[in-house]
Amino acid sequence: MDFEENIKVAIRGLIDHKFRSFLTMLGIIFGVASVIAMLSIGEGAKRQAIAKYQDLGVNNIIVRDKELSNEELEEVRAKFSLGLSLNDAYVIKEIVPGVVDVAPQAEKNSEIRYADKSSKSTLIGITPSFIKILNYEADKGTFINEDHSERNLKVCVLGAGVVKTLFQNQDPIGKMVKIDDQWLEVVGVMKAKALFTETVGELASRDLNNDVYVPLSTFHKRFEFDNKLTSEIKQITIKVDNSDQLVETAGLVRGILDRHHYNNDDFSIVIPFELLKQEEKERRIYNFLLGAIAAISLIVGGIGIMNIMMATVMERTREIGIRRAIGARKSDIMSQFVTEAVAISITGGIIGVFLGVSLSLGISLLTDVSTLIRVYSIIIAFGFSVIVGISFGYLPAKNAANLKPIESIRYE
Amino acid sequence: MLIEIKNLTKDYLMGEVKVPALKGIDLKIKKNEYVAIMGPSGSGKSTLMNILGCLDTPTSGQYLFNKMDVSQLNDDELSAMRNREIGFIFQSFNLLPRMSSLHNVEMPLIYAGVNKYERRKQSVKALERVGLAERMMHKPAELSGGQRQRVAVARALVTNPGILLADEPTGALDSKTGLEIMQLFDELHHEGNTIILITHEKEIAEYAHRTILLKDGMIFSDLQKNLNSKIEKQTP
Repeated sequence: MDFEENIKVAIRGLIDHKFRSFLTMLGIIFGVASVIAMLSIGEGAKRQAIAKYQDLGVNNIIVRDKELSNEELEEVRAKFSLGLSLNDAYVIKEIVPGVVDVAPQAEKNSEIRYADKSSKSTLIGITPSFIKILNYEADKGTFINEDHSERNLKVCVLGAGVVKTLFQNQDPIGKMVKIDDQWLEVVGVMKAKALFTETVGELASRDLNNDVYVPLSTFHKRFEFDNKLTSEIKQITIKVDNSDQLVETAGLVRGILDRHHYNNDDFSIVIPFELLKQEEKERRIYNFLLGAIAAISLIVGGIGIMNIMMATVMERTREIGIRRAIGARKSDIMSQFVTEAVAISITGGIIGVFLGVSLSLGISLLTDVSTLIRVYSIIIAFGFSVIVGISFGYLPAKNAANLKPIESIRYE
Repeated sequence: MLIEIKNLTKDYLMGEVKVPALKGIDLKIKKNEYVAIMGPSGSGKSTLMNILGCLDTPTSGQYLFNKMDVSQLNDDELSAMRNREIGFIFQSFNLLPRMSSLHNVEMPLIYAGVNKYERRKQSVKALERVGLAERMMHKPAELSGGQRQRVAVARALVTNPGILLADEPTGALDSKTGLEIMQLFDELHHEGNTIILITHEKEIAEYAHRTILLKDGMIFSDLQKNLNSKIEKQTP
């Protein structure tokens, strides 16, 4: 019996019993839709995580000065540690192998004012290496460069959020803003950054769009910390040439800094890439569980198909007898019924794909859960529905094929 | 010799008990014979028909069809035999209800693996032969009993089988339509077809040229009819 005829018979069967076929398909429809939706939620979370860690740099090691209370600060200073310093950054760059560059930065909470508006911001003193290491991009104007640093110029680059608060629609480039008691010229504006909503390791969450960047030399010369004991440098970002060496390099950095800080344990080291790997490992288990739960509904859908197919075979005993009498082999009957089961599951699968895709789009539109539909998840869900059709259609089809022609042709 | 049956037996198991349905049948049927197999119910005529039609296999004995031993064939080979050599015509027509007449007639050719174009051509020809060319696209439910049986005859004819095997072909029809079907069989016989008719009605059996009477699983009588007497009967 040719395949085309099988498909025709199967499709006619679907059309002749529209409502029954639809009910049979429901399990597959919801199964496929939920597999796609689950996978797209997982992929969405993964994309967000990758974006977050990319901001921190996958080849970077971040050394950060610990937040200490005044008493603790007095204690560590009494034990000879100066906290993170420019010298630390210099030593790391010179001594540790595999280090491409370092970017020290100082930080301070400040108020920035323009005309009658003001914004609470984090003032960050940086060196020109900062932009290279962290892939920051200026949206307009320039970023802090060598010239600004060498001449301690009173210039600043504003985060997108600060620009929005202070300038609305005006062009801030060339304008003078007042930060604490200093007047600085705006030379550049940053591109908007994704909200840094989660705490990554020791890095507390904050809105990077509220940052204001000035040359590190200007920072030290023109601004003063509220607490005189505050370390010279808040953070050193270290770029390594090979991401395989991150853990070893971080170990070396820790050794050097421990010696310089007299084992005061007043800094912490974060390796974004390692955190990303770990987070991904956890998420993979989570996604697998989500997918497995969705897959169970596909299997339940398959049992629904098997149930209906069993009834169909009973109902069509006589048809099977007639087909056998006029020359159908067992294998012809077998393939006819398997084709019918697969036709049901494929039709259900297609509807399920549409439902799953719209579900994913709906989730990201109506909630703040981000979803990402990948082609592979559609292929997995759809392929699985076909496999379900074949495997759960097999048993009823085998029953149909094994009916005895003389008995089935007289079946009423 | 088209069909040669030697010492054929068939037993059924009813629980633990072996019930013999056929107890040693010897039978020869030539090409283009028109044979009626008669007998009361329980005589074994249905069993014999099932075996002749390759729907069932004998317990012992030989069944040669065109010198080929059918009793040794496996399920697939029996299916192929039914497909190519047997044209079944049943009392209850046994058409597939959701398909047009044409599609019903095409079915055996589909299983024979005939291509679409050839299939269509032969099926239309068979339907024309039984006088139903105008009803090709009708479904069985839209046809009268006589027309349904004609579709069934067309389906039996379409593969040019070795024998037409008709099981009470007029049993579900009124006498007038029954007569029309029997006239169609006469014509088919004249065109060279071999016909085996299973019936319990004497009037129907009389259309055949040879009548085999079964009783208790054995052949009771096997009478060759005088052709002249048949002509007399047809023109009373």
